[in-house]
Amino acid sequence: MTAFPLNDFDDFPAHSQDNPDRTLPAGIVSDDEWLLRSQFSENPEKGCELLFRRYYVNLCNHAIRFVHSREVAEDIVSEIFTAFWQNKTFLQVNMSYRAYLYKSVRHRAYNYLKWQMRFIPPADAPVHASDSPNPDEALQYSELHQRIEHIVRELPAQCRRAYLLKRVEGKKYEEVAEEMKISPKAVEALVSRALSRLRKELSAHWVLFITLFFC
Amino acid sequence: MKESVIRALLFDFFEGNTTSIQRKLIEEWLAEPQNEELYYRYLDEWESQHPQFTPDADRALAHFQAALNGNAEEPCQNTSWEPTANTSRKPWVWVAAAAAIAALGSFVFQKQIRYKSLESEPGRTVSYRLSEGTEVLLNSNSTLLVPRFGFSGKTREVYLDGEAEFKVTHTRDNDRFVVKMADDYQIEVLGTEFVAFSRARGKRVFLKNGKVKLQLPEGKQVYMKPGNLFVSGRNGAFEMTAPDDPRPYTAWKEQTFYFDNTLLSDVALQIEEQFDTRVRIPDTLLAQRRIGGIYKAEQADDLLQILSELMEIEIIQKDDHIELTIPKLP
Repeated sequence: MTAFPLNDFDDFPAHSQDNPDRTLPAGIVSDDEWLLRSQFSENPEKGCELLFRRYYVNLCNHAIRFVHSREVAEDIVSEIFTAFWQNKTFLQVNMSYRAYLYKSVRHRAYNYLKWQMRFIPPADAPVHASDSPNPDEALQYSELHQRIEHIVRELPAQCRRAYLLKRVEGKKYEEVAEEMKISPKAVEALVSRALSRLRKELSAHWVLFITLFFC
Repeated sequence: MKESVIRALLFDFFEGNTTSIQRKLIEEWLAEPQNEELYYRYLDEWESQHPQFTPDADRALAHFQAALNGNAEEPCQNTSWEPTANTSRKPWVWVAAAAAIAALGSFVFQKQIRYKSLESEPGRTVSYRLSEGTEVLLNSNSTLLVPRFGFSGKTREVYLDGEAEFKVTHTRDNDRFVVKMADDYQIEVLGTEFVAFSRARGKRVFLKNGKVKLQLPEGKQVYMKPGNLFVSGRNGAFEMTAPDDPRPYTAWKEQTFYFDNTLLSDVALQIEEQFDTRVRIPDTLLAQRRIGGIYKAEQADDLLQILSELMEIEIIQKDDHIELTIPKLP
């Protein structure tokens, strides 16, 4: 399993203390979450559970677009919910829970990807993404997973197949080898070729991404 | 803009089917703060309509509920150490697991659900604070598995592959802290500071403070006192010493290498462990040369540079490894 250092995570900053300007008027919160909110004020535990039931599957589906691994996607989403409960984040979010959860998934998935692709940000880049609303950020994330999809789609057929079986489905090299009727060594080579292609093609993208987010 | 229009536009955008002009339009629309909420609402709607896989929500929910209640999970039944790296998550495994549960009448949790793994990249140490306060400094290229939803029950169990320093906090209930390592080695403590090394080539524990019990293969046990160093040998043999100088065992914390009459072949191994860079020394005479000193190196190259100057050796970068040789005289 590939996980990643926790201290590299920056969930979307939920606290409004250091930035009081950010607190949105109460009217902004979408009304469809009203029921959830009232549940949270009565019984946060039950509220968390409802939230989990409502969003877990969709969030996993969103996360996998970035990380291309079922296991990692599920881990990321589970960790977000656990932190949401343990850190009592629900008391602090100043946007809808849905927006908070999607943003967290995107940030964590992005951090994972950064780590997975061995991308090292420039030393002077601040650790936290900007707290101010950034209309472009929401779009950039969607474009990032489209880009990943595009790169994978362009891989040679064998290479793509090995990559998907190994990475997305989390099969062992031996299992993939059996399924593809080639040697485990060959599978390894195909997967690493796919990864290095991703690494290479994304690195150009990173530079853009980083400049927009961190500068 | 009408809501139905923006919804259609956003759906196209999520698919990657918008023109740059439409993108501009969305960007302007998003500049209104309240529209960001709508954006995520439609994103969620779009995700519901475009599923990619079926996460096991029931299982995840069960674990989340356990975390919500702060409940003790069942103690781990399997005592053997298995790496979780490639554990398959195909549905049939779960069917088989369900059958096994029915047969055994006991619930066996799979490690990859109960544990999450903390890892460090080659050449970097990472520090963590576990949920109950224990501090862990993970040496590079190492993995530590910790319970995903916090510790529960009487023992706090973690799995180490690689090297780490632990500052274990003493809990009120005197819960044991157990570091499990490969090949049936494990360390049991209440509250101490120690450095554990667990890789394929051997196990090593250096105790700084407190008291430690080591479980060895075949059920053997030894106790360690502060300052003691435990090194595993072949076939379950081991050596317990009290070194005068602890620095060789803690040097990595400062990204420093400590060599004291150390074989060059050993140095190569340490580079491999620290930086995940394979180093080969084809010349056996060269491999047997020894080196001493304390060197700071944040990358493999830093140390190799020093070696090449000190020992007059040549460093050759090959495809997937680095080769150390004695330069041929012109």
